[in-house]
Amino acid sequence: MAARDLHGKGPPWKEGFRIIGKAHPKSDGIEKATGQAIYADDIALPGMLHAKILRSPHAHARIRSIDATRALSLEGVQAVITGKDLPIPYGVIPWTPDEHALALEKVRFVGDEVAAVAAVDEDTANAALKRIQVDYEPLEAFLDPWEALRTPAPQIHAEIRGKPVEGNISKHVDLSFGDVERGFAEADVVLEDDYFFHGTTHTPIEPHCAVAQVSADGVLTLWSSTQITHYVQRALARVLELPESRIRVIQPCLGGAFGGKSDPFALEFVVSKLAFLTGRPVKCLWTREEVFYAHRGRHPMHMHYKTGARKDGRITAVDARILIDGGAYSSFGLVTAYYAGQLLTGPYDFPAYRFDSTRVFTNKPPCGPKRGHGSVQPRFAFEVQLDEIAERLGLDPIELRRRNFQGQDTSTVNGQRITSNGFLACLAEVERASRWKERRGKLPHGRGLGVAGSMYISGTNYPVYPNDMPQAGVQLKVDRSGLVTVFTGGNDIGQGSNSVCRYIVAEELGLDPLDVRVVAADTDLCPVDLGAYSSRVTFMVGNATIDACRKLRRQIVAAVVEAWGVVPERVAMGHGEVYDREDPSHRIPSREAFHLAETRFDTLGATGSYNTPKLGGDYRGGTIGASPAYSFTAHVVEATVDVETGRITVANCWIAHDCGRALNPMLVAGQIEGSAYMGIAEALLEVHDVNRFGLHAGPSLLDYRIPTSVDTPELHALIVESLDPEGPYGAKEAGEGPLHPSIPAISNAVFDAVGIRLRHLPFTPAKVLAALREASARPPAPKVARAPAKERR
Amino acid sequence: MLRLPKFELARPERIEDALALLAEHGERAQILAGGTDLVPNMKHELFTPDVVVSLARIPGLVGVRVERDGTLRIGAMTTLDALAHDPLVRERAPALAQAASLISGPQLRRMGTLGGNVMLDTRCQWYNQTHFWRSALGFCLKKDGTLCHVVAGGKKCVAAASNDTAPALMTLRAALVFRGQEGARTIAIDDLYKADGIYNKKTKGEILTEVRIPATPAGHRGAYGKLRDRGSIDFPLLGVAVRLDLELAGENGRGAVECADVCAVALQARPVRIQEVAECLRGTRPGTSAFAEAVEAVAEKAKKQCHPLENIPGDAEYRREMVPVYVRRTLRAAAEGAGPVEHV
Amino acid sequence: MGENPRMRLLRLRVNGDLHEVGAPDHWTLLEVLRYRLGLIGSKQGCDKGDCGACTVLQDGKPLLSCITLAALAEGHEVTTIEGLMPAHVARGGAGADPVQEAFDRCGALQCGFCQPGMMLSARALLNENPAPSRTEIRAALAGNLCRCTGYTQIVQAVELAIAEAAGVEPPRPAWSPDANPWKAAPPKTRPARTRSTRRAAEREEG
Repeated sequence: MAARDLHGKGPPWKEGFRIIGKAHPKSDGIEKATGQAIYADDIALPGMLHAKILRSPHAHARIRSIDATRALSLEGVQAVITGKDLPIPYGVIPWTPDEHALALEKVRFVGDEVAAVAAVDEDTANAALKRIQVDYEPLEAFLDPWEALRTPAPQIHAEIRGKPVEGNISKHVDLSFGDVERGFAEADVVLEDDYFFHGTTHTPIEPHCAVAQVSADGVLTLWSSTQITHYVQRALARVLELPESRIRVIQPCLGGAFGGKSDPFALEFVVSKLAFLTGRPVKCLWTREEVFYAHRGRHPMHMHYKTGARKDGRITAVDARILIDGGAYSSFGLVTAYYAGQLLTGPYDFPAYRFDSTRVFTNKPPCGPKRGHGSVQPRFAFEVQLDEIAERLGLDPIELRRRNFQGQDTSTVNGQRITSNGFLACLAEVERASRWKERRGKLPHGRGLGVAGSMYISGTNYPVYPNDMPQAGVQLKVDRSGLVTVFTGGNDIGQGSNSVCRYIVAEELGLDPLDVRVVAADTDLCPVDLGAYSSRVTFMVGNATIDACRKLRRQIVAAVVEAWGVVPERVAMGHGEVYDREDPSHRIPSREAFHLAETRFDTLGATGSYNTPKLGGDYRGGTIGASPAYSFTAHVVEATVDVETGRITVANCWIAHDCGRALNPMLVAGQIEGSAYMGIAEALLEVHDVNRFGLHAGPSLLDYRIPTSVDTPELHALIVESLDPEGPYGAKEAGEGPLHPSIPAISNAVFDAVGIRLRHLPFTPAKVLAALREASARPPAPKVARAPAKERR
Repeated sequence: MLRLPKFELARPERIEDALALLAEHGERAQILAGGTDLVPNMKHELFTPDVVVSLARIPGLVGVRVERDGTLRIGAMTTLDALAHDPLVRERAPALAQAASLISGPQLRRMGTLGGNVMLDTRCQWYNQTHFWRSALGFCLKKDGTLCHVVAGGKKCVAAASNDTAPALMTLRAALVFRGQEGARTIAIDDLYKADGIYNKKTKGEILTEVRIPATPAGHRGAYGKLRDRGSIDFPLLGVAVRLDLELAGENGRGAVECADVCAVALQARPVRIQEVAECLRGTRPGTSAFAEAVEAVAEKAKKQCHPLENIPGDAEYRREMVPVYVRRTLRAAAEGAGPVEHV
Repeated sequence: MGENPRMRLLRLRVNGDLHEVGAPDHWTLLEVLRYRLGLIGSKQGCDKGDCGACTVLQDGKPLLSCITLAALAEGHEVTTIEGLMPAHVARGGAGADPVQEAFDRCGALQCGFCQPGMMLSARALLNENPAPSRTEIRAALAGNLCRCTGYTQIVQAVELAIAEAAGVEPPRPAWSPDANPWKAAPPKTRPARTRSTRRAAEREEG
């Protein structure tokens, strides 16, 4: 039974929202501000050992033998393990369990985990690693995805889950909707080009860290900086061959993730195994270098897009061919290959669409989900191509997007259900805020405005392992003191999901937010939530929380009704009190109402759940990309180009994001700003790549450049509310959508500024100079006959 | 946590004791100034001394003062932040103040010292990495190996000098005072560096105590230009220091160029002086077309003379393209009494 | 150089307290703070001074504790994030340091991991310059990397702290064009009194 039928997008009380929609502080804000918040590396347990991991120096090699005897004999070393100690493979997606915590027979990238030690301190553990001898037989390594695609041997993975792998192909998806060829035939202009998105990674400021402790009766507790406590619990059970009920996974306060902590990782299995072997708690804190090797960042994509449009700007067909560089393991790769095509079919309507995406394995750190998983790259290509179409047709780029707007309460060409859709309002907002009409195309040479749009999922239709149980569950506990505790499996990774629970409960039960506390992400204490990925937590945990609150509210109101002898409609809750609407002098503190309810109904408590409706197209892969609600975003970027140095500077970025309803506008703005910052960084500064040896080219925060405060422009967050029918009070996601348009908007702004098209990321100064040189040597492209005067802006 | 290798720390309170330790332990001892270069390098196991000799407690190494003859004397342990803000340095040696102000980020400038920057280790993307990373490719010519990964078959290390203060001090004709066990000696900064990426200095076992900058004339102008990807933290991809000494005000308020010098860093193992700069600029007057043409000529010469390599991370071809741009912009900034030149 | 380095007895003054703690010479200040003194507020982000998460104040000036040898902090006054609130209370304030309060009220603490270092850099800036411009604020924080916020709400927080100290209204954020969400600082209540402290206070007042 899904919660969506029980509540709507309005406030729970006639009096309107008291908490929701206001800039309340976060539930964990002051604790983080005073240094009291506990992150995984802040945990220290008596007798705790430190684990270090030995990594492969080869990009592709067979392991002939491992000799750890000298390591074991070092004083202070308590245990050494290798792949043989953890032979069961795993993978976050059940169909591709192609990873081992420690390499079993071969290593597949430089940095792949090979052995681990537990010692009294890090220095001893490091010294022990140097004593482990590994005999490798190097194999040919693939660093280029095209080469991996056309070279079937040596195979990086020969078989996965018993099924043989075809060459080095991780996943191939080829889907077609409508009649693409006819669409191109009907078009007045057809553009076709290559686009490239390079590799980038998450770099949360907190490196991964895990601490494991085993009780005398064999119950494992793992604290881990993870986004997916529930999936980690399942993976540990599988690999350690333990019942899940004997595994407790706790996510402490977490220092950033962005999709980089949504796989189970080697260190979690390693500390758990070592804790079992030694009988002592074991901690492993990764160095920053190791975080780069773990990666799971954005897949480089080589894309070929072909789009047809009529003179009036209406898109007739889109055809995409995409080569996805997957790195050494699958991770979420099955999903990536689908997302690369499935998530493009909005906010514009096009009647015919085809995409063919192939993910290949390469001997590099494995790619995975990074904020906007699988859709940021195609969106970049498409939004630049749309701009090129606008240019060819002589149309304003915002007008072109308007003309193709798909509308709300509709369905996409690939069978996704669209409900609320505030994209037009988003365009209007950035058009206004940037003074687009008076400035675009009219700024001095070297300065320009660019626009782009996008859409993104608010959670998906399917859990990572198939089941029909709720995707989010919440439990409420009521104390006689007036405190209500919310138990949620939801992972707060800094986005404020715990705070959202607090605000919802305070709103529904009329409490002061300080009288609502949240216990989260502890598999012993909290109902299952699938984790913080695909922008699902606010939407799903929010709905589950409202569900639980409404059940509890019914009990409280029923008890008060009996005590006061009034009809239920007269009972209201707010400001920490319960009162009679028709006789406001008749009021009692909330906690007294709780006492009435506990007296009447015995010990109070309520659970709430949420599951998505059945969604998605009726074809294989049709559910991948289906979401109960989509967010929409538009960016306008103002950029300057220094034509002597080629450097692009973003002076301003306006981001209008339709989040359905801003449960806390300050937190939504923070997500909008953070997302835009991350997109700008990917476009201009960050490069994740390996050198000719297959070694990460610069695994440090010095060489992998993320913007400092002086590198980041003014970010103007504009909130649009389309009041979604299924989101909690109408809310949709805000954590990933706002990243997408920043990158193409920069390319489009550069075009306005200096007339060059950047289709190849990152937009380095060298590329800009090369494009400028080429443009000055080339005659301008022909324009199609302009649309009639009355349609021109 | 990336851990430091084990060592013993000495905190001598007299320079003689520091020198004695260096003499006693030879190659097994290393000097620690602000630590901002040595400590990260030690975490990378590029240096694993048995004894680290901190200069923090030795008196007389901090401070800026000006002698009666106008010589600027700066203690080697003066922080980069102090240099950037010191009114004497800003007035008399603006290129140095500007260079110091652009080094790394705010915290590091309060820790890093002038001496530490003058004596900065050279840098290379194949070298400034962890022990694991370097061992994965069999190390390199500069450290623990025999192969250079920048120049195939290269027998000479080409790690880049990466210290922003060096070219500025070269334009200022700085003299460096080194203390050894035998006493103090002064060498011109031009004589400190050599074209050897493995160790690009001609001193060993001595401690830099002071930097002396001869008096700059009243019409002295200087500026520093730094190319880097970000506006903070990064080492230079290219650094250009400029000196222009103008005759005291002529008719237009700015006299003709009497003396001109341009030095650059982050190209090769030593900071370099661009040749034939003075010949181009001398006698021209800022604000005139003659000056502008001379600036162009210098920029072109610089481009011809500078050959960045794929040593530090960053497109070497692009860095070469930027040489004339930054030389031109920094010369203009110096002429106007402005600067520093950077992209933010 | 043996396997067991000699321990040095360090006397470190941290947040006004004098600590005696043993550590080998190769331990950094960050490691001693976190793993010997239990002051886990200073964070480890990048191992070698590239990110600023380990920023502490030494004699009021921000430095990177992960590349500072612990022994070289002797003789100096170290302030960590845990020291800001007590110092504020000792000066007669209520609640957390105004910089900490402002960061909380502006939403600047998303994951919070970079923020102890960020707040200390901001505190050091405001101690030196109570009214910096936005450009000066960004420049002062340019050694502290943040991955969550895009720096916007961080700058807003610093400007809020400045505005409140000056008794003026802070700038309005883009997402709230019609009203200033930070216009009135909520009255800062002192910690609730227990029965015994209340009686003591009544005795004094009475």
